[in-house]
Amino acid sequence: MMALLIRIVSFAALAFLVLPLVVIMGSSLTTTSFLAFPPQGLTLSWFGKVITDASYVSAFMTSTVLAAFATVVAVIFAVPSALAIARYHFPGKRVLSAVLMSPLILPHVVLGAALLQYGTAIGLTRNFLALLVGHIVIITPFVLRAVLPQLTDEQRSLEEASADLGGKPVTTFFLVTFPQIRSGVLSGAIFAFISSWINVELSIFNTTADLTTIPVKLFNYVQYTIDPTIAAVSAVTILVAALVIIILDLTLGLDVLSERR
Amino acid sequence: MTPSARTIGMLIGIPVLFFLAFFLFPMVVVAVASITDPNGGLTVANYTRILLDQYHWDVLWVTFRIGALTTIACVLIGYPLAWYLVRIVAWAPWRRACIILLIVPLFTSNIVRSFGWMVLLGRNGLVNDTLQALGLIERPVRFLGSELGIVIGLVYILLPFIVLAVGNAVADVDPSLEQASADLGAHPSTSFWTVTFPLSLPGLMAGTVMVFMLAVSAYVTPALLSGGRITVFSMLIFQQYSTVFDFHYGGALSITMLVLTLILVAVAGRIGAAKGA
Repeated sequence: MMALLIRIVSFAALAFLVLPLVVIMGSSLTTTSFLAFPPQGLTLSWFGKVITDASYVSAFMTSTVLAAFATVVAVIFAVPSALAIARYHFPGKRVLSAVLMSPLILPHVVLGAALLQYGTAIGLTRNFLALLVGHIVIITPFVLRAVLPQLTDEQRSLEEASADLGGKPVTTFFLVTFPQIRSGVLSGAIFAFISSWINVELSIFNTTADLTTIPVKLFNYVQYTIDPTIAAVSAVTILVAALVIIILDLTLGLDVLSERR
Repeated sequence: MTPSARTIGMLIGIPVLFFLAFFLFPMVVVAVASITDPNGGLTVANYTRILLDQYHWDVLWVTFRIGALTTIACVLIGYPLAWYLVRIVAWAPWRRACIILLIVPLFTSNIVRSFGWMVLLGRNGLVNDTLQALGLIERPVRFLGSELGIVIGLVYILLPFIVLAVGNAVADVDPSLEQASADLGAHPSTSFWTVTFPLSLPGLMAGTVMVFMLAVSAYVTPALLSGGRITVFSMLIFQQYSTVFDFHYGGALSITMLVLTLILVAVAGRIGAAKGA
């Protein structure tokens, strides 16, 4: 009886999770000039309209380049920090990890506002660099959070063996430590990339008409007009997300919720 | 400098400087602006303007009510779903498919997800059409521009967080504990409430806190689904920084929101720690 109830709630919840995505994908195929679901007729012309519109292409490019740069920097920041936190004792270690993790719980609107105000004072606003520093701050914790649990104490003896055999610290890191934390770095980097790619709350303070990311462009557009172009752009972002997740599932395995015995 | 101090410095030096320059210092600038006036003198006027004004309390009340309703709904839907995925699904490929369904929304922008609900919840949207066809309502319900619409949108966005947090906690519970409880004659529901549920509580608490934090600080979803009829606290902050450009008053709003959410998180953490102990 209870199991049946749980099944019903779960199926309803799964349907609830899929519904908006299906509606967006479906209505992007409509032949009408207004949004219709179920779609009336089938056409890919709205997608054609998007990929021939320079402003959408440039927003897609900005989002992608921004997320890529921010992710690379986040990995360069987070992996050494994780090593320091896991392998060494030093004063202020707890403060350091708390500070590096806190962007996860800080409201992004607050951080965006803070960076805008500070940026105004030092002349770092409404350009690519201003967007980049904000994104680095919010996504570094994702990499740190994924890498830290993978740095276990057992790895130390291997690292010491490598050092005893004359391996320089850098050699030891790349040949001994890194292979053991690779999956954490990869999954952290993917989460970081996506979090940057979909961000609105932070980006919105530093975008302009010429320099905008795809989520901010959608946000500004959706508030005034809703048409199938928006559905097509949204559908593209959903397909990108689905693709990334399927690759992630095939490479790292996403069966995270199986029972561990 | 000892060799290990030098190593630590090399590992964390640049990240620390970066976070000081672009995270801690900007937050300090906001905090300082919130207690100064445009001429640089110290003042509490920005805070008294917030705390003595009924309008701000009304907005806070709406924000926290939406946050609480969203969190409750997420727990009531998310716990059974997490349980289903961990304990009931036997066929691994179907669980994988379910997990993909759970994560795809998480990897999609708030805009896109809220936009989906704008279409679904419209006057002539699928939800109203279906409810009317089923004879449950006579005239279309106004979802957009109501708190209900915002809550639906936020539950949609935040549900995966709680499912993943609870699912991981439930997966970590050793089934032999329940087996032992059953062998000793406990009814399955007794075993659940006295053995499994308490063990999953830290995960549930972590997920709940995260959902609540994200719900009260959300900007995009309320902005899109409110239709301009409902104001939540993050909108006030955004207005000050994007159109009014009053950094002092905006700073006080930011700090107020930060402090209130941190207090609630600390309280929730305390309750969780007490229950878990």
